[in-house]
Amino acid sequence: MTVFLIFLAAAVGTYLIRVSGIALLSDPEKLPPRLRRALALVAPTALGAIIVNSLFLDEGRWRAFGAWHVAAAVAIGVALWRRSAGWAMLAGAVAFALLLVAGV
Amino acid sequence: MLPPLFWPYTADWTPFTGASFLRGGGRQPCHTCDVTPPQSGNPAADETSGASHRGPMLGIGRQQWVDSWSGFKAIAPLMPGSAAFGLAFGALVPAAGINAWTGLFASVSVMAGASQISIVESIRANAPAFIAVLTALIINARFALYSAALGPVFASFPRRWKLGLAHLMTDQAAVVALHHAHEYPDPVRRRWFILGGALPFVLVWLVGTIVGILAGPIIPASWNIGFIVPLMFIAVMVPVLKKPEELVGLGVTAVVVLLSKGLPFGLNVLTGIIAGLIAGTFFAEFADARRGRRGEHQDTVAEAAEHEAGEAM
Repeated sequence: MTVFLIFLAAAVGTYLIRVSGIALLSDPEKLPPRLRRALALVAPTALGAIIVNSLFLDEGRWRAFGAWHVAAAVAIGVALWRRSAGWAMLAGAVAFALLLVAGV
Repeated sequence: MLPPLFWPYTADWTPFTGASFLRGGGRQPCHTCDVTPPQSGNPAADETSGASHRGPMLGIGRQQWVDSWSGFKAIAPLMPGSAAFGLAFGALVPAAGINAWTGLFASVSVMAGASQISIVESIRANAPAFIAVLTALIINARFALYSAALGPVFASFPRRWKLGLAHLMTDQAAVVALHHAHEYPDPVRRRWFILGGALPFVLVWLVGTIVGILAGPIIPASWNIGFIVPLMFIAVMVPVLKKPEELVGLGVTAVVVLLSKGLPFGLNVLTGIIAGLIAGTFFAEFADARRGRRGEHQDTVAEAAEHEAGEAM
């Protein structure tokens, strides 16, 4: 029940965020510059936090070096090289599968 | 209002109503009507296709189907990512001991993968509910930027459309709407274009979630399915990282997340995000001031929203 209520609260809050500008702001350039700059950085910081947390930590402890790190490095390399999400996903997944098969 | 027996070949056609006739404007743009004739801009093409002589289907005008199909085609290349993301979240649901229906409810109601995954991680870390919700809402704060940018795009829509479409504004749907809005000056056509892209995209996300929930329990633990979370976020974020303030924000976030790993309830993630946002924002102000002195272009809200949506999808 608690989990359901957590998702429900997140859903209500997210909807209010989604509708805020549409309902209240006819001119987007009225958004305060500092708020605009902060909001523009939410994606890289939030996703970066999740990446780093899941890649280097496992339930609060350091994750042992292995397939996760190597495959992630491959994905980052391909993402920078090809500038393509699809190629990065594919390369990272293939590298990870091969590393697991190899017992890394 | 009865649908017309045939569609006249005018670009500004609106359903004829007595009220509009009394106002002396029988053919004015109708921003609330959803039965609009085909408007390819080429009467000969409409004649050839026969579209001009077809009536509404399921109570929806032919033109609206055409515009919805255009929206679907615009977002279709992004759908495999939506399915994969839904699959990743779905697979985490049974692994975290969350009820399958609750997991599905999350995908229907929150409809934002990164925040849903963060909630799952918070639950696994036994975090208090308010921390799980707060972390999710901070991650979803980016939607405020999309919403601000979409304000003018949705401005002439009826309220029920604004409220409904707002819920469907995923990262991908927002960027497609912002990219193509100028191609649809008619608000009726514009909203059907947006709906045609956003709704199927969400349905694909839900199908992915269901498949993930069903397949999750039978995927061997040795497959390390959890790796899909960092992999997916690397794939969507790294290719579009360009601005120095983003790198500063990301770098500070990474360092703080690792340095504060001892915090309880997975609070290191929230701490890292807030630290990265503060550092990145101050650096962005410095960078914007420098761009201003050099006379360089500074992003409008719409441009910033499109760029950020590109990072998050």
